[in-house]
Amino acid sequence: MRITRLTAGAAGLAGLSLVLAACGGTEADGDAAAGGGGSTEEAGDITLTVATFNEFGYEELLDEYMAENPGITVEHKKAATSNEARDNMNTRLAAGSGLADVEAIEVDWLPELMQYPDQFVDLADPELEGRWLDWKVEQATTADGKLIGYGTDIGPEAVAYRSDLFAEAGLPTDREEVAELLEGDWETYFEVGRQFAESSDVPWFDSAQATYQGMVNQLPNAYEETDGTAKDLAENSDVKALYDQVLTAAVDDGLSAGLEQWGEDWTNAFQNDGFATMLAPGWMLGVIEGNAAGVEGWDIADVFPGGGGNWGGSFLTVPAQGEHPEEAKALAAWLTAPEQQVKAFISKGTFPSQVEALESEELLGQTNAFFNDAPTGEILANRAEAVSVTPFKGPNYFAIHLAVSDAIVRVDANGTDDAATSWEKALTAFDELGL
Amino acid sequence: MSAPSIAVIRQTAGPGAARAAARRRGGVNRRPGWVTYTLLTVVLLVSVYPIYYAILLASSDAATIAQNPVPSLVPEGNLLENLRRVVDSDIQFWRALGNSLIVSTATAFSVVVFSTLAGYSFAKLRFRGRGPLLVFVIATMAVPTQLGIVPLFIVMSELGWVGQLQAVIVPGMVTAFGVFWMTQYLSEALPYELVEAARVDGCSMIRTFWHVAMPAARPAAAMLALFTFVGSWTNFFWPFIVLGSTNPTLTVAVQLLQASYFKDYSLIMAGVVAATLPLVVVFALAGRHLVTGIMQGAVKG
Amino acid sequence: MAVTTPAPPTPAPSRPTARRDTGPRGLRQRLARWDVTFSPYLYIAPFFLVFAVAGLFPIVYTAYVSVHDWHLIGGQGGFVGLQNYVDVLTQPRFLTALRNTFSIFLLSSVPQLIVAIVVAAVLDANLRAKTFWRMGVLLPYVVAPVAVALIFSKMFADQSGLINTVLAGVGLDPIGWHSDPLASHVAIATMVNFRWTGYNTLILLAAMQAVPRDLYEAAVIDGAGRLRQFLSVTVPMLRPTLIFVVITSTIGGLQIFDEPRMFDTLGQGGADRQWMTVTMYLYELGWGAQKSFGRASAVAWILFLIIVAIGLLNFALTRKIASAGAATKGGAK
Repeated sequence: MRITRLTAGAAGLAGLSLVLAACGGTEADGDAAAGGGGSTEEAGDITLTVATFNEFGYEELLDEYMAENPGITVEHKKAATSNEARDNMNTRLAAGSGLADVEAIEVDWLPELMQYPDQFVDLADPELEGRWLDWKVEQATTADGKLIGYGTDIGPEAVAYRSDLFAEAGLPTDREEVAELLEGDWETYFEVGRQFAESSDVPWFDSAQATYQGMVNQLPNAYEETDGTAKDLAENSDVKALYDQVLTAAVDDGLSAGLEQWGEDWTNAFQNDGFATMLAPGWMLGVIEGNAAGVEGWDIADVFPGGGGNWGGSFLTVPAQGEHPEEAKALAAWLTAPEQQVKAFISKGTFPSQVEALESEELLGQTNAFFNDAPTGEILANRAEAVSVTPFKGPNYFAIHLAVSDAIVRVDANGTDDAATSWEKALTAFDELGL
Repeated sequence: MSAPSIAVIRQTAGPGAARAAARRRGGVNRRPGWVTYTLLTVVLLVSVYPIYYAILLASSDAATIAQNPVPSLVPEGNLLENLRRVVDSDIQFWRALGNSLIVSTATAFSVVVFSTLAGYSFAKLRFRGRGPLLVFVIATMAVPTQLGIVPLFIVMSELGWVGQLQAVIVPGMVTAFGVFWMTQYLSEALPYELVEAARVDGCSMIRTFWHVAMPAARPAAAMLALFTFVGSWTNFFWPFIVLGSTNPTLTVAVQLLQASYFKDYSLIMAGVVAATLPLVVVFALAGRHLVTGIMQGAVKG
Repeated sequence: MAVTTPAPPTPAPSRPTARRDTGPRGLRQRLARWDVTFSPYLYIAPFFLVFAVAGLFPIVYTAYVSVHDWHLIGGQGGFVGLQNYVDVLTQPRFLTALRNTFSIFLLSSVPQLIVAIVVAAVLDANLRAKTFWRMGVLLPYVVAPVAVALIFSKMFADQSGLINTVLAGVGLDPIGWHSDPLASHVAIATMVNFRWTGYNTLILLAAMQAVPRDLYEAAVIDGAGRLRQFLSVTVPMLRPTLIFVVITSTIGGLQIFDEPRMFDTLGQGGADRQWMTVTMYLYELGWGAQKSFGRASAVAWILFLIIVAIGLLNFALTRKIASAGAATKGGAK
């Protein structure tokens, strides 16, 4: 208390208005701060904060919610990237306060938070049963049946390709023929790549690391047993086989452009015929369209090597530290209802994880002019249904996956190691984790 | 370490002769030659090009940037359009600008006042524990800031300040850096004799500070104010964590331009320009004072 | 450091009749004595008060955390003594981080200080358009580190960057800025140097301007050339400022975080951690996959001790160099 007064006094010296300190509650009200502390909350009026990152397509939806629910003000807090959102969330969880009422979490860092179910409100609700695809619900359900988050979007994967480069190399260009051509396992995808390479100088795919990501997401237990114990990487023949397969195709056969996804070179490659195909989850379409603005020939085929695959997707959670868990839960449930997620898909392309949404006329009728008017709604809905494996991602998934994907980047993008020495380094990195 | 033979020379040949001799031999006030200006021009080009590069990119568009690794030397026409996109996007540009001005001004002002007080005390006053306390101040700078974030966040949330500007201002009101800087400057620039003369004249401690230390500290204070202002303005991590996007500073807000699906470098660089431009204006306005301030420092010698 | 200066005009108004006998003499004297005794503490109090909250509490807290098994989110576990320190010191990655940090530190601070002191000396001359040159040199400092990283990452892109394109244009091999450890350190050091050289130049310039001109005139009369003047007059007179610059750049350099973290999009220091610094390692331990706040705190304390050690070493060196300069100056007399 003494400290409070002293620092406050010091603040006064600096010419600060101290009204602010008095009106701060746990829900930091930015508007009140800027307006000089004028807004007092009337009984029944509450402010909810929603924290998201990248593009969730919620801007208009939140206005709609406020119009429908007088007395509730929703503030939208955005972070630029999933990484920043994660840093922010971890810091606030560690400090025990400051989280938004509804926090978006990406599936990649969900497992590490699933270990602390007490930090989150149980969202299980009999009325909402069957709303989402089973595997989406499974990802956010703890071993003892607690539901941590409501699914927002998913990333069903298809193959995006450059039909103009396909034509030059003598491959079929029509998206249905391409789907037929690529139908099969990963070896088929690489084999077509080798054919393509015979008559083209353009690399077949963008990055070995991204391709590996698509492959490993089809293993039910890639790095950990279902009880959460880590598999010894040195003994993990499944992962080693994928590692060898993707690097043989990428480096020995020269199919990879050797780019690191999201890097400057990767972004630039879209404008410079950098590669002919890439694995594309639904949300990637917006990325391709933006990066390749003005480039003609992009199309998308209703196929994915090895069956179906999902990359990414998020959840809305309600942290236990919030003051209005019921209202926050209601908001999260509303935002993740099929109607709303279809609207988000139309506005920003986040593909819904709700069963009903997958049958929505609006969604299925969606086409994308940039991808040669491809029926993207229908294709992605098909790709979502093709997902048959729910990869188990426990608390150590992120760390072990990073060790392996670093190894791939060293060989494919950096060219500093060969596959064998890089694997040895991955084993060392795994050992350092002390699992 | 006293000044060497000046006194001797003065006594033997007189001050005028000494100065004249100094000038004759190519001394202090000689105008420098072209080598100096060439060197400075090179330094200036290296300093300015990366900023100019950002302007070049900000005046282009994403596709052109991707197709041309080396931008043309003359800006293209999209700068204003891209800046307008930055201002019109949903990053709360004007509010962020206002917040940055408030935070930077408040911290610059208080850091200067408190650091000068403390620096004067450490440099020129004798008190028990002076040495260890100064070492302690310097040592605190060596603690990695990343780790302070969780405990500091705990303090801020106890105070109910999360999301509010004072969560950024108050921790920045005094810096070990400022105290150290003022201590070092005053220990050099303010002779003990002056302090003692004022004391002998019967000035109280605070009057001595005000009339003797403050004038001597002015050049260093001007620089410290600028450094603190810029430091607060460009700080990212702590404001990002404690304020977030609902009540951001400009650096935090501009970072949000990367939140869209793909990296539009023309937009991102326009954000860089928009966040830097106000500082350049402040800098241009204050720069003259800064330089005169430094000159005043020279006069006292 | 008693510098004989020509008697400066006293800024404070002279009060020859300060000892007037008005009021109770004992109280006045006591007040004056209290003034002298307590004022110094009063002046440094604001720093220590704010510091107690914003600085000291985190330090103590960190020390406490570092001797416990402490998960970032799970919170406090059992007391483990120095186990976290042992864990960290035996991980090869910590050594990699230490190597990178020192490499980037040397590549940035050494050239930076040399250039800064030379440019400051040049700016200290009787230039035309002084303000223009000074402000031009300081300009990069107003660009935020986040923005500097954005600009330079674009320039240093391996395949599509400005620098490698220019190198290819003049027939040289492109450099693997993101794959080769040394090249990545050079690139990161370039960002640091870009932003901080002008800043240090101006600090040194301010100190140079405060050097009494008579000293130079005297040195000239003694037959000292420009280099000699610089070494025998400027450097010794700059001692407090040099110590300041060296210590602050040591601290800043060894804590480097923003620039290497933003050098690529993943922010982990490269696939082989070829540019991961100690603070990035700290962050990875605490906020990354392990979420071991205990180990991260241990790294913070190890880094703290390293910085203090290097800082003391630098302090001693700078003192010695400056005194050596002073000694030669004495000899030149």
